[in-house]
Amino acid sequence: MTQARIRNFSVIAHVDHGKTTLSDRILEMTGTVSRREMRDQLLDSMELEREKGITIKARAVRMAWTGRDGQEYELNLIDTPGHVDFNYEVSRSLAACEGALLLVDASQGIEAQTLANAYLAVEQGLEVVPVINKVDLPSIDLDVIREDLRTTLGFKDEEVLLASGKTGLGVADLLHAVVERVPPPAGDAAAPLRAMIFDSHYDAYKGVVAHVRVVDGLLEAGQRILLMATGSSSLLPELGVFAPEAVRRERLEAGEVGYVATGLKAVADCRVGDTMTLADRPAAEPLPGYRPAKSMVFAGFYPTESDAYPELKEALEKLRLNDASLVYEPETSQALGFGFRCGFLGLLHMEIIQERLEREYGVDLIATSPSVEYRVITHGGAEVLVDNPAELPDPGSIEEIREPWMKVTIITPTSYVGPLMDLAQSKRGIQRDMSYVDPTRAMLTYEMPLGEVIVDFYDQLKSRSQGYASLDYEMFEYRAADLVRLDILVAGTIVDALSVIIHRSLTMSVGRVLTQKLRTLIPKQMFDVRIQAAIGGKVVASESVKAKRKDVLAKCYGGDITRKRKLLEKQKEGKKRMKMVGQVEIPQEAFLAVLRIKDEL
Amino acid sequence: MRGIGLYVHVPFCAARCPYCDFATAPAATALRTRYLDALAAEARREGNALGRPRARTLYVGGGTPSLLEPDEVGVLAAALGAAFDLRPREATLEANPATLDAARLDAWRAAGVTRISLGAQSLDQRGLAALGRTHQVSDVAPAVAAAHARGLAVGIDLIFGWPGQTAADWAADLDAAVALEPEHLSCYPLELEREREEADANWPGGGWPVVVRWRARAQAAAPQEDAVAAMYETAERVLRRAGFRHYEIANWARPGMRAQHNLGYWRNEEWLGLGAGAHSHLGGARSRNPVSLVEYVRRVEAGEGRTPDPAADEASDTAMLALRTDEGLDLARHAQRFGAGAAGSVRAALASLDGTGLVRLRGDRARLSPRGRLLASEVFLRLLPP
Repeated sequence: MTQARIRNFSVIAHVDHGKTTLSDRILEMTGTVSRREMRDQLLDSMELEREKGITIKARAVRMAWTGRDGQEYELNLIDTPGHVDFNYEVSRSLAACEGALLLVDASQGIEAQTLANAYLAVEQGLEVVPVINKVDLPSIDLDVIREDLRTTLGFKDEEVLLASGKTGLGVADLLHAVVERVPPPAGDAAAPLRAMIFDSHYDAYKGVVAHVRVVDGLLEAGQRILLMATGSSSLLPELGVFAPEAVRRERLEAGEVGYVATGLKAVADCRVGDTMTLADRPAAEPLPGYRPAKSMVFAGFYPTESDAYPELKEALEKLRLNDASLVYEPETSQALGFGFRCGFLGLLHMEIIQERLEREYGVDLIATSPSVEYRVITHGGAEVLVDNPAELPDPGSIEEIREPWMKVTIITPTSYVGPLMDLAQSKRGIQRDMSYVDPTRAMLTYEMPLGEVIVDFYDQLKSRSQGYASLDYEMFEYRAADLVRLDILVAGTIVDALSVIIHRSLTMSVGRVLTQKLRTLIPKQMFDVRIQAAIGGKVVASESVKAKRKDVLAKCYGGDITRKRKLLEKQKEGKKRMKMVGQVEIPQEAFLAVLRIKDEL
Repeated sequence: MRGIGLYVHVPFCAARCPYCDFATAPAATALRTRYLDALAAEARREGNALGRPRARTLYVGGGTPSLLEPDEVGVLAAALGAAFDLRPREATLEANPATLDAARLDAWRAAGVTRISLGAQSLDQRGLAALGRTHQVSDVAPAVAAAHARGLAVGIDLIFGWPGQTAADWAADLDAAVALEPEHLSCYPLELEREREEADANWPGGGWPVVVRWRARAQAAAPQEDAVAAMYETAERVLRRAGFRHYEIANWARPGMRAQHNLGYWRNEEWLGLGAGAHSHLGGARSRNPVSLVEYVRRVEAGEGRTPDPAADEASDTAMLALRTDEGLDLARHAQRFGAGAAGSVRAALASLDGTGLVRLRGDRARLSPRGRLLASEVFLRLLPP
């Protein structure tokens, strides 16, 4: 196919705005999948994706479509992940396209994330085709949505298409618009190969499979390729396209999208955004925009039962095969035993990994409170990166602690502006801007520490706006802050898993809440147990659990010795499940409960 | 043969006490006659099987055995006398103060009873009401007097920590009990189980939800752990001054008046239990009868024996039981009886409690300290095999 008749496009939409359903209709309308073969949500292949309704892994599907000019076109639909944590992956998917359909839910209007992705597409020079989706819904006001599109992105009313993924209405027009408005690829077919990897996954039979967009040159099976960022090199055993099942091809030409079985053994060797070239005729320059995956959120994962450590390790290894953005290293906690410090792209990424570990691998785990990566400047001028509060250097040696700040965009119905501003303020947010998307909806822009964003901000945002507000954020800069580590001591021993790095102004209130909660959770011991919250050696809050005075099965007659024994055995079992901090037995649930309330502070 | 302890269970009660977790059944049950027949049959069978052993102690417990009619008492006594060499140094009858009339007392006296264990529970009318008891405070003194008049030793059972009870209430209860001059006192903190008990099957009309609701309410209204612990310490102090020896976690006695039958349990000696829910410990093996009257009667009538209780571990049971008493655990004897390994693990377990002050070790003898009695479970669960 000549480049002139190729169209590469993706669909940008907020979660729940119907991207997947519309994609399914497109596959159907182009005859790529018959209605009979159609499973709902074909592009979301992971069980979890289906359940959460979120697209985690990008996929590309090749389709054939006859344009209004009677010519046959090759359309490549590149799916994009729909969540803020996968911003970089989205940007790479977009970089593989010349155009994008911007999907707006007719009943919801533009959301923060839609806007962020639309800006991303515009910045990358993509032709954006606005589509109002779900127009079959009753009581919708298309004029309001058109106004949204006009004010926020400058679309003219006549550019806006109407569609319904549910009924199929307007889908053909939309495909025609892709053909007519999205420019064809403009790569140099004669130049050395440059193919951009916009996704990769691990296949048990084929090894790492990369999804690529050939920008320049020609890619053929049997060639030796070189990945320019990681330096990995291998012979290509197989390549092809998804339509939507894998179909082998001998070659992929400039402008085309397809898959490449790389022969590599780990997705970490085949990074999203990397440029694939030929080992014997390499390109001079890689494609722009590569960035190694950067962990933003960190947490300790510990098996609930300490003997399940090998299972957790194996499960993480397997997950990592498929997810280069998951990083982890072994970590030991006095309180929780052996586990792993894990780094994630964001909170959702963390939740997904946690759920997959529990669901797909059957590992029961405790996750410590999520933390961000702090840059600690010591008096000596050295910079230390700290993502685990327990590893913060001695306060006396610290010159300054810097924390990551985000640019946060919130779009909300105007009636919730007040409560959301209060929320942002309580999270140390600094307001930068406020504007109106349309008469009923406002856009708030804040600068906010990531450490605050990852702790209950999203849930609060949703609950204070009754689910109507939407959120997008991007990394902004590191800023110095008056941060301290708050330790929790039980009977004089620091419970490492409960340490937090927080703003100095919050230490008293957080310390009080944590110690009070722990007092109710730590069972009475044979001695008084002091529970303290402290910064360095300075105690900011203190509680105590009085010694247990009575624990006896007083009535023991006749043969009920066996029953007493069973009661004792039950009690002993309970003790076994406790974690020892010094001499104090603390039930697992206490850690869980405290970690939970820490998320709510 | 050294002889055994003989326990006979009479499950019948005039009313169901909502805190009670023993094998009970309504006094008016249609199974009453069949039960008593089964009891006699079981006595015959077991007496034969064991070669009419000597019963060193007899304990007729319940339930409320004191509500048996005099003729029923006579039949039961005859059956026991035929099956066993019944010359006990102590024969105890558990009695409800309201049921102890002269005719019944005489019948039991004639059957050889030497001691009455009186379920007074409280000498405060509010306490009896809080515990759902049906007898009156005014029933207690006459019952004690009647027993004493017949030369019977008297033990009084008290429960403390009932809903609404104050420290002063408890001190008054203790004083009132001491004033009755019993030879023996048992004081238990109110312990409320929430797991459905097998005895529920014997009570028609689905009483369990009511029992559980009562227990939940009682638990909520009962004094806190610290207050209950303080009550226990009050009992220790008051009863010591009154001349009682605290010889087991929940038991006090005048010199020479310890409950011999119960001591047999705590020394993990041999006993045979007859009747529904009764447990036995014979030849190093534990076994039990079903709590359900229907099932018990069926088994006896079908000639089926007791169910073995495989969970037992003789060495650790013996250690735990011994530590309940003021005799304590003699580690040298323990080693003789169960081997050096068993004694070694007891020593290791006790060593893990060093510094807690729960156990006192003098030479080979380990005893619970006063604090250790209140925290006995902390000690005992360390004695369980791993």
